[in-house]
Amino acid sequence: MPLSHGLLMTLYALLVSMFFAVLWKRHPRLQFKLFLQLFVGMVGGALLLAWLMYPFPSGPPTPFP
Amino acid sequence: MSEAGSQTEPGREESQQLNARVVATLLAAWLVPGAGHLMLGKLRRGVIFFVIVLTAVAVGCLLEGNLYRVLPNQPLTILATLGSMGMGAPYFILRFIFGYQGNIVAAGYEYGSAFLLTGGLMNLLLILDAWDIVRDRKA
Repeated sequence: MPLSHGLLMTLYALLVSMFFAVLWKRHPRLQFKLFLQLFVGMVGGALLLAWLMYPFPSGPPTPFP
Repeated sequence: MSEAGSQTEPGREESQQLNARVVATLLAAWLVPGAGHLMLGKLRRGVIFFVIVLTAVAVGCLLEGNLYRVLPNQPLTILATLGSMGMGAPYFILRFIFGYQGNIVAAGYEYGSAFLLTGGLMNLLLILDAWDIVRDRKA
């Protein structure tokens, strides 16, 4: 199983967006529209937050074991 | 008096049939993700929900996430366990037949736990959706 943070986040966003799109909307066109809104909102929001946090230091480096 | 009784009898029978249908639908919806929708004739949605919830659970297991169980002196695990149990039969199959419990030192433990818990919570929402459909509150 690949352990890329980005890939797992995208997979999670994909499943949750699909789920709520089918749960909340009945028409396929509206489902697709809501899916896109949720998916782009989640992945884009996470990337935006990561970009905003980029200048801040993440703390001291982990000591080598 | 007897006329009034004879008028209410069919209504009561109908109400009992509806209640039995509601209980059967909710039980099926809990045990197998999407089964409630399938029982109500929502074939496409039932299959999609089944695939989504089981994919979330399968990814969670592959990442060796935590399948929550109640731990002493940790009250929050009660809520997490109830949420995970929402996935229905897969929870009990994983826990009692396969003895699955996750691996806290696995690299994907936190992500896996999120996937497993999300699978359970999604199925709880599906039960509520099936409840609305069977009571004719939703299409």
